[in-house]
Amino acid sequence: MRTCYSVLVYLCICVFSVTAEAQQLGVKLPLHSGSVRFAVIGDSGTGNKEQYEVAQELDRYRQAVKFDFVIMLGDNIYGGHSASDFKRKFEEPYKALLEAGVKFYASLGNHDDPNIERLYKPFNMNGQRYYTFKRGNVQFYALDSTYMDTQQLTWLEQNLRSSNALWKICYFHHPLYNDGKMHGPDLDLRNQLTPLLKSYGVNVVFSGHEHAYERIKPQNGIYYFIQGDSGKLERHDFHRRDEMQTSFDRDRTFMLVEIDGDNLYFQTVARSGETVDAGVLTRQSGPARAAAGR
Amino acid sequence: MPVCLAQKPATAGTPDAALVSDFEAKVKQYLDFRQQQVGPPQKPTNNPGDIVAKQHERGNKLRVARAGAKQGEIFTPQIAAYFRRQIAASLAGAHGKEIRSSLAHAEPVKMELQINQSYPSNQPLQSTPPTLLLNLPNLPDGLEYRLLDRELVLRDTEGNVVVDYVPNALPESMK
Repeated sequence: MRTCYSVLVYLCICVFSVTAEAQQLGVKLPLHSGSVRFAVIGDSGTGNKEQYEVAQELDRYRQAVKFDFVIMLGDNIYGGHSASDFKRKFEEPYKALLEAGVKFYASLGNHDDPNIERLYKPFNMNGQRYYTFKRGNVQFYALDSTYMDTQQLTWLEQNLRSSNALWKICYFHHPLYNDGKMHGPDLDLRNQLTPLLKSYGVNVVFSGHEHAYERIKPQNGIYYFIQGDSGKLERHDFHRRDEMQTSFDRDRTFMLVEIDGDNLYFQTVARSGETVDAGVLTRQSGPARAAAGR
Repeated sequence: MPVCLAQKPATAGTPDAALVSDFEAKVKQYLDFRQQQVGPPQKPTNNPGDIVAKQHERGNKLRVARAGAKQGEIFTPQIAAYFRRQIAASLAGAHGKEIRSSLAHAEPVKMELQINQSYPSNQPLQSTPPTLLLNLPNLPDGLEYRLLDRELVLRDTEGNVVVDYVPNALPESMK
């Protein structure tokens, strides 16, 4: 009985301290018990001061949000790919997160060397250019958008079809929709991927490449985020178009995501700690999803 | 499969099918040779220095073993002409506009190409439009196509070596 009481007190203290810390930081996620929580970074691997500052802020939020993995949207290592480059552009900036046991799941960008990075264990790619993993009721698909060949499209179709996950999330470097001046959307990639994403119920797509943050209005019922500014930044990057929901191009950012049941909560945080976007998205399904796409 | 094929693959028994078979045979021959020279693929490790060192070692072994290799050994003039036709047909097809748009955004990389050279890891990779890839013969694991400006490179991914390339694979208008 005494042990039970002690455990209860300990748990209450833990919950209270997490909540207090989260409130202090301005965390907008509900932090529900048993939810899937992760962070998102894109175009991060510069090794510059700003990448380190984003990483520091990310670690502050980790302590409050308790996410245990990060998805990487490509351009994980810019420039050279020597051991010292990996140290300066990944291991050092994210040292606190790595030491806390946070796992990183990388996808490949056009500045990444696929044949080095896919073999680098801390990127959890298991030797593959593209792969899938599941957390709770969420299936993640990390794709290689620089080289979307027939084998990858076939693999994606098979793996989307066979998954019974409640949520399906694809992430890859080149955005299918994007209002940035620097790159813009990849229209041929959009042509090839959209039928698969629609047919097999993909809910959310995260991409990088454009060095800014943008949330797109649902397209074909699918939610799209562009988060390509965790290291690089292109200021004043956007054309304001109808498909844009919101955007931010004044500082580097990262995202925090929490999925609980049919809800996906997100919060985008700038290097300064300012929250630049936040909200909740409801899982699309059946006819409602088709309606959302109109 | 809901993937938009821009063009049908070569029909069996046609001259194009024979060219594709010839290409596939040459690719298999290369991979058998590569297997003899450098052994099985690398395994994941925590040490990026090891990965880079082994990749260099494999690349160097291949360069020595293929010291006399020349452009056109795999992409013979006939096979190269087939690839150019396939690419031109993709660009002229229903998705040509989107392919051109993607190529324009692909951050073209300009460098002088040589057989057996390694692709510098500090250079970005020019993305290859998927519809274009769908119209080219499939490659086995360990080899890939890469566009470099207007050239189409056959690259050994294990040793990071340029195996062969099709000069002027993209039409002049794409320059």
